[in-house]
Amino acid sequence: MSDTDTTDDARTDGGEETADSESTNTRADGGPASETSGTSSELRSDGGETGIVAPDDEVPTWSERKERKAGLSRLTYEYFERSRREDQELRQESDYVERDVLGFPTWPHEIIRNGAISLFFVGMMILIAAALPPSLEMPANPSATPSIILPDWYLYWSFGLLKLNPLNPGLAVLDGGKIISDQLYGVLANIVVVGAVAFLPFLNKGSARRPVEQPFWAAIGVGGAVFSFTIAALAVQNLIPLPLSLQLNIVFIAPVVIGTMTYALLKTLREGYMYGLNRRYYMLRPPK
Amino acid sequence: MSLEKRDEFDHHAWLKEKDLTAIERVFLTTLVVLDKRLRIVDYLELLEDAYYKINLQMPKSHTEQYDLDNKFWYWYPLYSLGFFSVLAYIVAAVSGALLGFYYAPSTASTAAGTPVAYASIKTIMQDIQFGFALRSIHRWSAQIMMAAVFLHMLRVYFTGSYKEPREVNWLLGIILISLSMVFGYTGYLLPWNQLAFWAGQIGVKMSLSVPIVGEWGAQMLFGGFSLGQPTIIRMYILHVFILPFVVTALIALHVGIVWVQGIAEPH
Repeated sequence: MSDTDTTDDARTDGGEETADSESTNTRADGGPASETSGTSSELRSDGGETGIVAPDDEVPTWSERKERKAGLSRLTYEYFERSRREDQELRQESDYVERDVLGFPTWPHEIIRNGAISLFFVGMMILIAAALPPSLEMPANPSATPSIILPDWYLYWSFGLLKLNPLNPGLAVLDGGKIISDQLYGVLANIVVVGAVAFLPFLNKGSARRPVEQPFWAAIGVGGAVFSFTIAALAVQNLIPLPLSLQLNIVFIAPVVIGTMTYALLKTLREGYMYGLNRRYYMLRPPK
Repeated sequence: MSLEKRDEFDHHAWLKEKDLTAIERVFLTTLVVLDKRLRIVDYLELLEDAYYKINLQMPKSHTEQYDLDNKFWYWYPLYSLGFFSVLAYIVAAVSGALLGFYYAPSTASTAAGTPVAYASIKTIMQDIQFGFALRSIHRWSAQIMMAAVFLHMLRVYFTGSYKEPREVNWLLGIILISLSMVFGYTGYLLPWNQLAFWAGQIGVKMSLSVPIVGEWGAQMLFGGFSLGQPTIIRMYILHVFILPFVVTALIALHVGIVWVQGIAEPH
């Protein structure tokens, strides 16, 4: 056991030598060599220990064991070492700032957490389905237009956008004629709204995650959410006892008002919030 | 971040210089190809890790590690909305496949004077054992999926999860939410009741209002400018054949990208 040091040297230089199998196999039964050398010379009658040792720096890793073999496994090892080193060098060359945690893992954190909640929700879904079975309305009748035509609730916003025709401007040069039809105006409104939402990540970049960090964008979000409700109310305008012009005003003014309130609220909260966050941040990463 | 590969890591050149036997070469080529695509080296490390781990312990999440729980715990339920909409989608798919055994997409009149499609729904609701439960579950899971998807979108917006490395998934999400609504639309046209018929009328009108491609679109999606048998068949094929494949594939891609990129930090 006096050659332990030389063995370690041979192991750490990248595994170019393969002739040291004899000396390393004696260490492969686990445990630091300096401790086991004393007991292995004695005769043990109780069968000895389990041989399972908590991993520490002395315990050979899986790849270190792999390294000593020959043939295809040796080849596998060499390739993996190369690709590992390649990754390492790419990482070092990169200007990307490595952090401790970039995102927390899907398995097991997310799956277990979501699984518990989701099983509950599936049960709830079946309960709702049992309690409230859907109705079956009258069969289709092309000759009788119902007084209320509505899609399912999740299309109300889209249906509301189709009813924006009072805003379709008539042009003086066309004698009050419209350049696009009212229906097309509604379809275009849909495309504009979906397009704007799709474009978001290209407008708002950066690492800010929470509403308090970006009150403006939080206000935009709240305004958008409110707009989806007010525009949905426009879809059912014939059920709401308000004049159409007033309702159209509400559709566009309410999101702006509530968005502004959100902005003001977050601006007010911001100082205290950011103080706590910064305190946590600098406790973790003290300024140099 | 675009990085040049360095020459010394040219595995093909390395393979050549090793002067391998045929078996070794085939083995190593397979290994390189698989590792390039599936990162086997990472899984070997996982195995290694598991092998030597005696006291198993859940790794701490970001929020636990940095002691942020007290501040952000209320976001957690909202992080399950995406997973939950997938679950609702699966429930809807299973119940929908079972409903498909009994539904007949036809507008022809039965002896009672109602369309065949409507009559088949009536049969499901009234005659078939647990048929009403099946339709109820299908309908409610669809409604709840839409609700979950919208809330999921709000959660993603307000936690900034759509930002920089995740733009593609946001766009995919927009496509998915749109397709889900098309899914719902084609679905509620199928019973061929009053709601279905007049919702279909609006769809045809919308389509016809678009210049140049509008009429072509109406013919393709609705089978003409007025509603009838071609319409219900098209809606049926969209609902049970085309959309399930497309949406399932996109959901898999969406979730796959989340898996690769990691969940955005909840703060």
